[in-house]
Amino acid sequence: MDNILEVRNLTKRFHGLLAIDRITFALERNQILGLIGPNGAGKTTLVSLVSGTLQPTEGSVLFEGKPIHRLAGFRRALLGIARTFQVMRPFPGLTVLDNVAVGALFGAAGSTRQLAAAREDANRWLHFVGLDHRARQRADALGGPDRKRLELAKALAMRPKLLLLDEVMAGLNPVEIEEVITVIKKVRDQGISIVVIEHVMKAIQSLSDRLLVLHHGEKIAEGKPEEVLRNDQVIAAYLGSKRR
Amino acid sequence: MKPALKFIFAALVVGGFATVPSWGSAVLVQFGINALILATLAQSWNIIGGYTGYPSFGNSVFYGLGGYGVAIALVQYQLPFAVGLILGVVLAVLFAFLLGLPVLRLRGHYFAIATLGLTEVMTAIVSNLEIAGRNVGLILPLAKGDTLFLELSLALLVVTTLAVAWISRSRFGFGLIAIRENEVAAAVMGVNTTLYKILAFALCAVFSALAGGIHAYWITYLDPGSAFDVSLNVRMIIMAVFGGPGTIFGPALGAFALAAISEILASKITSLASIFFGVVIVVAIIFMPRGVADLAQNFRRFGWRYFQENIKAHRV
Repeated sequence: MDNILEVRNLTKRFHGLLAIDRITFALERNQILGLIGPNGAGKTTLVSLVSGTLQPTEGSVLFEGKPIHRLAGFRRALLGIARTFQVMRPFPGLTVLDNVAVGALFGAAGSTRQLAAAREDANRWLHFVGLDHRARQRADALGGPDRKRLELAKALAMRPKLLLLDEVMAGLNPVEIEEVITVIKKVRDQGISIVVIEHVMKAIQSLSDRLLVLHHGEKIAEGKPEEVLRNDQVIAAYLGSKRR
Repeated sequence: MKPALKFIFAALVVGGFATVPSWGSAVLVQFGINALILATLAQSWNIIGGYTGYPSFGNSVFYGLGGYGVAIALVQYQLPFAVGLILGVVLAVLFAFLLGLPVLRLRGHYFAIATLGLTEVMTAIVSNLEIAGRNVGLILPLAKGDTLFLELSLALLVVTTLAVAWISRSRFGFGLIAIRENEVAAAVMGVNTTLYKILAFALCAVFSALAGGIHAYWITYLDPGSAFDVSLNVRMIIMAVFGGPGTIFGPALGAFALAAISEILASKITSLASIFFGVVIVVAIIFMPRGVADLAQNFRRFGWRYFQENIKAHRV
């Protein structure tokens, strides 16, 4: 089995709070893993531990078989890990195009080093996510849905091997969600492995090859979407009030 | 203005400055040297403050170290001026690397305060160094006349501006801008933020030290108080912000404009000059907080509404 990402016994403690408690899982190359769980379950923390925004208290993260949990965030980006932020972090004073160009200039090795080429690249990614008509505007002029698209374009311009998507569909309407799902599937077809955090159940079911359910920082279920969503513990923790 | 036009305009300004000694009075030449050195300082502050978003109050330390490099080389070891300049640059870059590492971990106000402390520390240290003439200072050998200094400071401003122009369109510069706009996002996208910040700090150390070295040799006197002068650092910031931080020509433009305004005010209405200067700054910050460069770019599009929009957009 060819795992692009392996997480072993990963633990993150914020002072007294155990945010992530001995999580172990693996992601096969070219697969999509859905990460679900109630608010405060530790989903974003887990993504931050993989991307290097946070450092783990214990445990290890292996990317393409090599341990990366001691590396700084930017080194992981250069290895080929890109993430989006749930609370979007655009470069507000830059144009939409240049926001994406930063991803093309830096990001995974083999990225372009020249500004003109990076901007060309950025244009292609903006077209890919359907944002090319706003390329010349400042990023802080974008509304919520377009900011989500921008986050995605910035991450894609880094040419990652592993893409971590933190709620890129939150706040979008059903039509926009359909569009984003199409984009994510296209990304996977380019050979990129993906971890998706999402609250939109229908979206995550149709996207994910496997699901991993977090609750209070612990893994309570893992497997094929239809199996996991039938799991009693999962229903109790996450869907309880609605299904019962 | 189109970029090409801007560069032609800049070339004309440079050419104009170069001919000042042939027709201008001695006073005008001296004003020119002062303005050019201030413009260089504002321009190098632009690298760390304007592009990287770290409001440094420690740039006058680089300036002072540049001055002492020249003074010590000339007075204590009778070395040539060029060697003194190199010594000053080496001292300033070392300082940028050693203190950049801890200080650049801080952001915003905390970074500003920490760097403010650095100037005080340097004043105290240098006041007690025998080689630097303690708090009495050093008297440098008399130099060869103002034309040389005008040419030197003009050349330095051109080089500094070219460096900034390169930054604005290079991968390195985009890394700095990304750090300014959102440091966490920059790191996640693969920018080595610590290294980039220190390199930016060191780069502005180089240009500030050269400016300090030229100024010290021109004035022929250097003491700790004037070398590590916080108010000079404040002036750099005001000039850079007045002109437009994070732009190629803004800080130099701002420096020339403010140097001229304060010179005219000082000669016409001596006693009230600093009050008027303060009023100019306050009015400028309210009506054009993004500086002269932004005004030049957007005034034609928005007209007088430009000022209105600024007041609305930046109201606290």
